[in-house]
Amino acid sequence: MSDAPSLEVRDLVKHFPIHSGLLQRRTGAVKAVDGVSFAIRRGETLGLVGESGCGKSTVGKTVLKLIEPTAGRILLDGEDVTTLSPGRMWHHRRRIQTVFQDPYSSMNPRLKVGTIVGEPLENFGIASGKEKDELVAKLLQRVGMRPDAMNRFTHEFSGGQRQRLGIAKALAVNPDVIVADEPVSALDVSVQAQVLNLMIDLQDEYKLAYLFISHDLAVMRHISHRIAVMYLGRIVELTDKRTLFSLPMHPYTEALLSAAPVPDPSKKKARRVIVQGDVPSPAKPPPGCHFHTRCPYALPKCKVEVPPLIEVAPGHHVACLRRPVGASPESLTTTA
Amino acid sequence: MSILSVRDLATHFHTRDGVTRAVDGVSFDLAAGETLGIVGESGCGKSVTALSIMRLIPPETARITPGSVVEFEGRELTRLSEEQMREIRGKSISMIFQEPMTSLNPVLTVGTQIAENVWRHTGIDKRQARERAKEMLDLVGIADSQRRLDEYPHQLSGGMRQRVMIAIALSCDPRVLIADEPTTALDVTIQAQILDLMLELKEKLGTAIIMITHDLGVVAETTQRVVVMYAGRKVEEAPVGELFARPLHPYTHGLMRAIPRLDIDAETAGRRPRLKEIPGMVPRLDKPIMGCAFAPRCDFATERCRVEAPPLEDHGKGHLAACWEVARVQTVAA
Repeated sequence: MSDAPSLEVRDLVKHFPIHSGLLQRRTGAVKAVDGVSFAIRRGETLGLVGESGCGKSTVGKTVLKLIEPTAGRILLDGEDVTTLSPGRMWHHRRRIQTVFQDPYSSMNPRLKVGTIVGEPLENFGIASGKEKDELVAKLLQRVGMRPDAMNRFTHEFSGGQRQRLGIAKALAVNPDVIVADEPVSALDVSVQAQVLNLMIDLQDEYKLAYLFISHDLAVMRHISHRIAVMYLGRIVELTDKRTLFSLPMHPYTEALLSAAPVPDPSKKKARRVIVQGDVPSPAKPPPGCHFHTRCPYALPKCKVEVPPLIEVAPGHHVACLRRPVGASPESLTTTA
Repeated sequence: MSILSVRDLATHFHTRDGVTRAVDGVSFDLAAGETLGIVGESGCGKSVTALSIMRLIPPETARITPGSVVEFEGRELTRLSEEQMREIRGKSISMIFQEPMTSLNPVLTVGTQIAENVWRHTGIDKRQARERAKEMLDLVGIADSQRRLDEYPHQLSGGMRQRVMIAIALSCDPRVLIADEPTTALDVTIQAQILDLMLELKEKLGTAIIMITHDLGVVAETTQRVVVMYAGRKVEEAPVGELFARPLHPYTHGLMRAIPRLDIDAETAGRRPRLKEIPGMVPRLDKPIMGCAFAPRCDFATERCRVEAPPLEDHGKGHLAACWEVARVQTVAA
């Protein structure tokens, strides 16, 4: 095992062309992901949080090479896989697996659970026949299901159980990295707790690296080690989770944290940074800092200059023109 | 003073596979101007409770069983004719839903849809109704309301569509607004805007709100009193502060420990804590449930819980709970 991060992404860009008019000429592009960089070590969870349309799921799909990046590099254990053809990429797919939000729509309803969970084992020539069945039984037990589940169909299981099956399938090939896109968003809270606990146990046991994509800040705080906040295709803040929740430096992070309802009526919010309006369309993002149209602290220069992502303290990256290096957040945020 | 009183409400769905008891004997009161939360997980019957009050359940399969009482301003809603009910819906009691796109008509302009509710219920002419529609858009904070009147739902963002739904719902000054997961489909910054708007309008107009949600954060921030439902039954009811400080039912107690907390640094020495799991899953409602519906998942359950359904008992301060083991739950919760 090398010292390289399990997954590293450098300046990742994904633009989707917009075609319009009678001749369907290319008239523009949705800049879904616009220069995103991060690295995830073994055993670490990087949370990718943001609202709908911020590009977090596109990052996940691009990293998995389910869609091709427009620019940038993707490295698995230090090895560049960006330009590999689907055939060459196949060898690397063992290392990076995925768990989706709705496992029901990602599993063939006409196949038995044993076939679904065992499919990656056959695909990669790891096991077949009786040996495969034994491995599948072990996997099912590891995710808290009874081995006889393999003879049943997915519709016989509840949402939480299906998510366990999805996790078992992802684990089957013993990957290094798991990209989990809103894995608990469709689940009720009592079941959500079961799945989150399972994911944490598995991570500790197998030293998995998680890219955990979610809109839910409470879930993020629970499972992540570090968190990247995305807004309209760019990372606006990236730091360890304790710092993010105690000293958020980007106005958008601050707004997100203050907007989320807290399950404690005794903590009636003294303040709330209400950001006005909606997220602008990623097809026509505002110039300069994308957030300036909703930012309560925006300066004139925010409308023209794109703020670079700067490391303001060790490991704490912020993309905001208002925060010079070394400035304490209190001096800039009156409400902190 | 209670303006809406629900007594022993039971709504059963009759299907080929048998009878599903979606709501199985629920009672609560709503006071004028109050915000009451109904909280529970999928399938607990919270939405069917709301739809039963509005009499919007599918008539082919669903029945509000005899003995159910829904009293609103002295009238028994379960006995009204469909025509009388139509008078009440949208005028005295309004409802908003989770996904505004599916409740708005895609081929009518926003203005037409708000005005329709106004002229249908008040009999004012269409020009005045359109005036009222513009007023309502201003009230719910939609900028440039004159232009928006002539736009279609697909031209609006999710947050704006929910504002339009609220505008329609409040256009006839209803006494009660039932909101069924009104912000669940919205992003968190938009959710904050919509919740603030609802509370602001409640203060301004004096509308009582029934807030149906699965989100304990939304409950904590918006409601005054809370009903907790499980498997079609009310298992607990309390003023919101009391409920969060002293949950008496093991289900409520479990839920509060199962949620990851945004506001608390729960880690010790960098280790992520385990969330409290509620083992198993909700029971099927198509078979009669013996005893307490939560017993199979409950840490406190005894033999008695499995055979005898616990009644709702008053534990003071308006705190009701249906549990045989309240005393034991309290010692653990303390």
